[in-house]
Amino acid sequence: MTDSPAIPARHLTGRRLVILLAILAGAAIAVALACSLLGEYRLMWSTWQARMLRLTAAAIVGAALASAGVALQGLLRNPLAEPFVLGISSGAGVGVLLGFAAAGWVALPGWATTPLLALIGALLTCLLVYSIAQRHGRLDPFVLLLSGVIVNAFNGAIMLGIFLLVPPRTISSFTMWAMGGISENIAIAETGFMLTCGGAVLAGWAMLLLRGAAFNTLGLGDEVALSTGVSVHRLRMETFVIVAMMTAAAVALAGPIGFVGLIVPHICRLIVGPDHRKLAIVGGFAGAMFLMIADTLCRLAGSWLRIGEVPVGIVTALSGGPFFIFLLRRRFREVSP
Amino acid sequence: MKSVENILLAGDLRFAYRPGQPVLRGVNFSSRAGKLTCILGPNGSGKTTLLRCLMGRLRPDGGEVLLKNKAVRKYSTRELARLLAYVPQFPASAQAFTVHEIVLLGRFAHTGALALTGEKDHAVARAAMVMTDTLRFADRTLDELSGGEAQCAMIARALAQQPKVMLLDEPSSHLDVRNQLAIYRMMQRLAHDWNMAVICVSHDVNLAARFSDRMLLMREGCVLTDGRPEDVIRRDVLAETYDVQIDLIESPDSPVPFIRAR
Repeated sequence: MTDSPAIPARHLTGRRLVILLAILAGAAIAVALACSLLGEYRLMWSTWQARMLRLTAAAIVGAALASAGVALQGLLRNPLAEPFVLGISSGAGVGVLLGFAAAGWVALPGWATTPLLALIGALLTCLLVYSIAQRHGRLDPFVLLLSGVIVNAFNGAIMLGIFLLVPPRTISSFTMWAMGGISENIAIAETGFMLTCGGAVLAGWAMLLLRGAAFNTLGLGDEVALSTGVSVHRLRMETFVIVAMMTAAAVALAGPIGFVGLIVPHICRLIVGPDHRKLAIVGGFAGAMFLMIADTLCRLAGSWLRIGEVPVGIVTALSGGPFFIFLLRRRFREVSP
Repeated sequence: MKSVENILLAGDLRFAYRPGQPVLRGVNFSSRAGKLTCILGPNGSGKTTLLRCLMGRLRPDGGEVLLKNKAVRKYSTRELARLLAYVPQFPASAQAFTVHEIVLLGRFAHTGALALTGEKDHAVARAAMVMTDTLRFADRTLDELSGGEAQCAMIARALAQQPKVMLLDEPSSHLDVRNQLAIYRMMQRLAHDWNMAVICVSHDVNLAARFSDRMLLMREGCVLTDGRPEDVIRRDVLAETYDVQIDLIESPDSPVPFIRAR
């Protein structure tokens, strides 16, 4: 080998960052346009508009969940961490359902109520999972996953309880939401709602990108990271809040869609390597494209099979479950050979 | 006059993880640029706790740590990282970074928000890798390296912080004889040639005596002796520190005798 690695190809520079952003943004727009044209033979302007809106929602949700997954995996040094597994999505879900149920008698406008309640639910869940799993500022990875499981079950029970309380005629829209679907009729038609959720995701995404280098350093251990200049404790708090905010926005838009934050970051890591700055960018765009394609496939499948809407959450759960088990088994092999 | 100033100074440090069970009971410590100081003592004597207080990780219950005449806890995390670096006992990286990338992570406190590294950062990282002889496996990841090579990579990463003080926690305790020697030689060069204050927690009395400029023996949270190796390596002192009988073996080519526990 040569003696000097001048600037290796996978090393990030400012110029490479800009090029990466431009390429990925172009790819995402191309995917969105391609997806929007699939389907009926005669495409009306208004149908196309509605589809683009739906694709935008899918992109926001996918970007949020995938980059939140990148951040959680980096922060917790745990390849299985993601918003759905840790119960953050279900916490946000409780908030969203409360928002639906309380729609009549809350003073705030609808577009603010649901995201706000989702955020509160997500933050409370983060706090709960974190305080169960941490001991003297250290997080046990398996206790963390288990507390996620327990909090998920708990939140699920609360959601079922809310189901019981609402009038029967709203149940079908509830069910659709709870399966994780992006439909054209409800929330996303409201501009204020889309802007709130999209803005929250965009802001969170940028904040995660700025913390990418700190996540990289954290991989060397808390003590080394601290001595390298990373305020580990503050980073943890900030990341949990950012992830809660992004998850809340995603869940408010499309319900609890699972495993996007698991599958997409892992595939990205295989392609671009372990740098969390690159992973935050690539993961976000890949998550957006992944969910746009998955949602389009669901839409097409629904109309071909003549069963109406197929919620995209079913597809991600069906593909994500086996993926999770695969990662879990590999992880077990590493821990106990 | 300036060169003899203590860069790191701790007075009457007291610390307890739990009330009523003090781990440090009034430790005095000082360190100068250009000197390798080794902290020794039996398990549980408070060596690692002292190191954590020195690097500002733990807040002492009494006493204060001064780095360049300013309380170490008053520095921001980033400011501190530009003055003081730390090497852990076991090198570990949760991610599959190459050695070169790990060394560049040491530039975190010197770079901007995205930690994008420029020419200067690469030059510093390269110098650190040359010094630690890690350039030849710069493109490999930590788990492809031997324990000794991985520890050298961690020292290179700490060096990339361009610190004035380097703290090492038993950096060679899990390494073979050849690598132990290499690590001690490296620490000595960091002190003498790179003019750093190098502080190392160690269990190997012989290696510490051979390479260090100063030794600090601790027991039960107190400093028993603090001085040059030739003054510290005495039967009575070592017997009191470690609670074992000690034989001293004179060696013709070493100013300090070797020790053997009886």
